Amino acid sequence: MTELFAAALFVFVLVTALATAALRDVLGVVVVFAAYSLGTALFYAFLLAPDVAMTEAAIGAGVTTLLLLLTLAKTVRPTPDQRLERPNLPALAVFGALFVVLVATVVEFPAVGEPGVMWDNPGVTQYYIENAYEDTGVENAVTAVLAGYRGFDTFGEAVVVFSAGIASLIVLRQVVFTRE
Amino acid sequence: MSNNSSDSDSSPGDWTTDSPMVSNPAESTYVESQVIMTTVRAVTPFSLTYGLFLMFHGADSPGGSFQGGAIIAATVLMIAFAFGVAPTREWLRNRTVVALAAGGTAAFALVGLVPMAFGDSFLAHPLFEEEFGINTKWGLEAIEVGGVAPIVAGVLVGLFFVLAAGMFRDGDATEPRTDGGAANHNRATRSRTGEEGSPTPSTGTEARTDDAGMPAEDTTTGTGGDR
Amino acid sequence: MLETLANRYTYVLFALLVVVGLYMVVASSNLVKKVIGLNIFQTGLFLFFVTTAFVDGGSSPVIPKEADAGAAFASPLPQVLVLTAIVVGVALTAVALALVIRIYDAYGTLDEKTLREVRTDE
Repeated sequence: MTELFAAALFVFVLVTALATAALRDVLGVVVVFAAYSLGTALFYAFLLAPDVAMTEAAIGAGVTTLLLLLTLAKTVRPTPDQRLERPNLPALAVFGALFVVLVATVVEFPAVGEPGVMWDNPGVTQYYIENAYEDTGVENAVTAVLAGYRGFDTFGEAVVVFSAGIASLIVLRQVVFTRE
Repeated sequence: MSNNSSDSDSSPGDWTTDSPMVSNPAESTYVESQVIMTTVRAVTPFSLTYGLFLMFHGADSPGGSFQGGAIIAATVLMIAFAFGVAPTREWLRNRTVVALAAGGTAAFALVGLVPMAFGDSFLAHPLFEEEFGINTKWGLEAIEVGGVAPIVAGVLVGLFFVLAAGMFRDGDATEPRTDGGAANHNRATRSRTGEEGSPTPSTGTEARTDDAGMPAEDTTTGTGGDR
Repeated sequence: MLETLANRYTYVLFALLVVVGLYMVVASSNLVKKVIGLNIFQTGLFLFFVTTAFVDGGSSPVIPKEADAGAAFASPLPQVLVLTAIVVGVALTAVALALVIRIYDAYGTLDEKTLREVRTDE
């Protein structure tokens, strides 16, 4: 049953990603991108990553789509003259070759979900899994690593988000976030 | 919906200054969808509660500050899309957004610096257990609930409002820029083709969410049409 | 050959998403579509990281207090990386969209070819 669900999700993500590249109308592309984000979020949940799935759903299907719609409203939505994009053949050839090269590399990878693979770092991962509750007192290992063991990286990321807010103010030459 | 007439302040039903809940909705040019407004009014309390729930329960179940902050920001954005950016802007004034964003960063840094005052290294949470006798968990909770979640929520909402306000133009309420001439000079060449046919009313309303009282972009249709 | 690819289905999806995202960045003429292509590229990479954390038959990395020693859990480390990367990605997208709004304000078009002509005339 779960295999059927995984296969359906896989096909959904594939189709929406290709539709995002193929559609001509920008508003249609934004809407299909929101559906693609939802499919990806479900796929992450299926891959045993609920924190990542919730973040992707809230940010990808929520905030990014709304910001894109807002940009379209502030600029222009060009009238679509045809349904599908005209394919750019040189780019298609180059990226088709890139895809073949990547798939040839992928064949060398270990199978999905196999334990004890080449990038599994058993020392570090097992230490975090075993000692997360004793060291930090939280049960969610992702939160323990995020705010406890790697708290400094989270601090850097919070400052990056803050400076992105400042950067957008500078780009649009505003002084305040919202005029009162 | 996409009547390109420049709305000045004196036209009836100019919704950039009025709240869209005007007494006579037939007069306003702002096309609202009753479905969107009712749905958002029903869903918002639950969505906000769920965001706060995820934020506070990040320690013992899947969740955490990023998810909670993003859901709270998405709820505010949903409200802004349903009821208009100008009323949401008046509800959440600038100081709320700045307080959330800057306060979150400051709180994170301060909680991290407290162990340094006692001789330990930056963000060393076990120090709270040794010195104050409280569980190590509260150090993590402090930086999650007090630090990261306000930053994420505040900055995402602030980015939305900044993008909605658009480029700074001369004659705005804040102090004028000396080199705002570039924006003015190029305004005449800007074309406004292509606005017809946008399906949702809310995107059309955002096109006029300019600075308070300013007329929308002028209707000079340039020659360089967009693709 | 098909069997091995079916065992590595997420990696094949990752390759496809990366290629689709890069193609949109290079070949679309609308600036907003380039930003969307960048987002698709990013999600492809996130899929790769999350797959390296996946353990078949395990459970998500919420470890109860009285967990038995042999239970398999998904690795929390790549998920932390992806969590941070998603939030930084949305900040990046917002600044890119602010730049797009500014470009539109200065030139009046979002089409790459028209912009290139206008800028070579200046």
